[in-house]
Amino acid sequence: MERGYLDHAATTPVAPAVLEAMLPYFGQIYGNPGSAHSWGGEARRAVEEARGSIAAFLGAAINEIVFTSGGTESNNTVIKGIAESNKARGNHIITSAIEHHAILNPCHTLERKGFEVTYIPVNNDWLVSPKDVEAAITAKTILISIMHANNEIGVIEPLAKIGAIARQHGIPFHTDAVQTFGHIPVNVADIEVDLLSASAHKLYGPKGVGLLYIHQGIKISPLLEGGEQEAKRRSSTLNVSGIIGFAKATELAADTMKTEPERISALRDKLIDGLLGKIKDTHLNGTRSSRLPNNINISFGGVEGEALLLSLDAQGIACSTGSACTSAKLETSHVLKALAIPHHLGNSSLRFSLGKATNDKDIERVLAVLPGVVDRLRTISPFYQPAERED
Amino acid sequence: MSKVTRGKVLVAMSGGVDSAVAALLLCEQGFEVVGITMCLGIKEESGGRAIRCCDSDALTAAQRVCDKLVIPHHIFDYTQEFTDMVVIPFAQAYARGRTPNPCVECNRLLKFDSLLKKALALEYDFLATGHYAGVEERNERLFIKKARDRRKDQSYFLYAIAPSALRSIIFPLAELTKEEVRARARAAGLPVAERGESQDICFVQNGYADFITARLGNAPAGDILDTSGKKLGEHRGIIHYTLGQRSGLGISSAQPLYVIKIDPEHNTLVVGEKRQTLAQKLVATRLNLFGDELPDMLKAKIRYGSAEEDCTARLVEERLVVHFAHPQSAITPGQSIVIYDGELVVGGGIIAEVLDGHG
Repeated sequence: MERGYLDHAATTPVAPAVLEAMLPYFGQIYGNPGSAHSWGGEARRAVEEARGSIAAFLGAAINEIVFTSGGTESNNTVIKGIAESNKARGNHIITSAIEHHAILNPCHTLERKGFEVTYIPVNNDWLVSPKDVEAAITAKTILISIMHANNEIGVIEPLAKIGAIARQHGIPFHTDAVQTFGHIPVNVADIEVDLLSASAHKLYGPKGVGLLYIHQGIKISPLLEGGEQEAKRRSSTLNVSGIIGFAKATELAADTMKTEPERISALRDKLIDGLLGKIKDTHLNGTRSSRLPNNINISFGGVEGEALLLSLDAQGIACSTGSACTSAKLETSHVLKALAIPHHLGNSSLRFSLGKATNDKDIERVLAVLPGVVDRLRTISPFYQPAERED
Repeated sequence: MSKVTRGKVLVAMSGGVDSAVAALLLCEQGFEVVGITMCLGIKEESGGRAIRCCDSDALTAAQRVCDKLVIPHHIFDYTQEFTDMVVIPFAQAYARGRTPNPCVECNRLLKFDSLLKKALALEYDFLATGHYAGVEERNERLFIKKARDRRKDQSYFLYAIAPSALRSIIFPLAELTKEEVRARARAAGLPVAERGESQDICFVQNGYADFITARLGNAPAGDILDTSGKKLGEHRGIIHYTLGQRSGLGISSAQPLYVIKIDPEHNTLVVGEKRQTLAQKLVATRLNLFGDELPDMLKAKIRYGSAEEDCTARLVEERLVVHFAHPQSAITPGQSIVIYDGELVVGGGIIAEVLDGHG
């Protein structure tokens, strides 16, 4: 059976060139970059070269890049580290209601310790209003953290405007760029961020490696303490092969970013138009204009997303549900709930995220399978009544 | 992926050993199997103790079994259906002085209707569960059959499945004992071989009365009467009592007293002697019958835990009138009566009325 992987927002395959670049760093160049001898030197030079190329890609200085184990660690470091190092100044953090749990859960932990967190709601397109952010600022605000693009809905937040506001008020500004880094231009000077999280496995790099950009002068306490690697900002022996892979993936991304967004957004629009056109009572979640080129998130009124996922999986098509029951949590996605979507619509969404290998045939297959399944499931649903609204 | 199979089966997996072995057997028999767990939205109740049938432990267990069998696992959201079709009607019936059986309704409405229809809509050929029961054909009709393991037999809970659904249902454990099921799980290295049993109603943790009180508020106290209408004491709300109950009435009396009637209209309990809890005839409604006609001599169970008793039954319009050979104790409206002909379930219904009681 032909298979089509349309879940690139979850993770991507490691590119062959990335794997090839990594391989020498397991058995041949295996030194600890912290060692003083020539084995260490080899590894250290490779890591620093990787750091330099990633820094250049981000528009950052080389010493502003800290390697981590991934997006979750980077986000935790920002929330907990900024809170710790600024607690004398204030105890208030501003973020949005639709952040990844790697931001929200550390915020909840801080709230239990006496910090105050403002979760900015979103408008009908899941966009954060810069005005709302500005209005939430108090004398005690020590951090603003707004994601670059949402992992479920794919909408791109107006970071440049929020960054300008943060700078005006002298408040550190962080963005979780896990979904955008390597996909759309991310330059820390353009979007005026002080802190930025990214992860390698979303851009055809290996799992288990990420980065945190820390603008010069930003004080942040480390999450991990130990051998004082990464200028004391993140102790732990460096993941050399992972970092080499991350740099290679970034290098490849810099190239594919020139043409891929155009190709992939054409496929995205074809899938969106096809689904909205072929199936009644379907709703695109989030605006089309400020959206990742590879993200499609659609609710199918009255149909459980998980059932659709199952039938697509059986046809060799991978996607994800925006929601609901997983063994980890038994709830509708907080991102969908941020807009007070009724339970049955919140649980009826699918997210398709396209990638380098996605082609026209994959899109055609989804469009061939879904209308029939949705129709059959609606026929048996005790709750489904065609919506009155027009889309 | 392209190999020929005996068909596509969706297996409802609770995270327990029975449904895990059901999935295992189907895989061995050459079916294309997908495991699903119905999320019923039951979370922790006030006690804070996680509940058994739909907690994340159970979901993880089901996932692990599917991983071991290398089959997909999905979780379907049945929170709204479960609340609307099972939990609320259960609480309301209880408050009306009845003693309903929500497992019967869950099987009738959710597992073997809603979920089965979904399986068929998703182009599966069959739905399977880990129930101890079987399906058998007789005279070109399909019947629910008792499981070989009579101690675990769950045919009582399955009598209400629509006859037309039976051709799409597989019960892989029909011929296995519980011990054999555990042994199969162990031999296959399924990580649920030693998981505990769940017997009680899955969504009630601390007794029915507490559950209903939490949903519908405190039931009002009322009078306890004797059969002549004389007040003997007070009860704490009728939801706290069941027919035939002896202890906990708080009345001193020369001879033991039993609840012989629950009267929700007047919010009273009527108590009497042991013999007054006995009756020989009942009327059942909401019938489900698998065959065209009823054999002359039958056996029936008036609750899951009771023995089969000889009876005759005849259909009077949409009602079933059952006459037992011997008096039965505490025939309870709201419970199901299930009628057997040998090892086959002929059908059953909900007990609506008790006739010819001595009380």
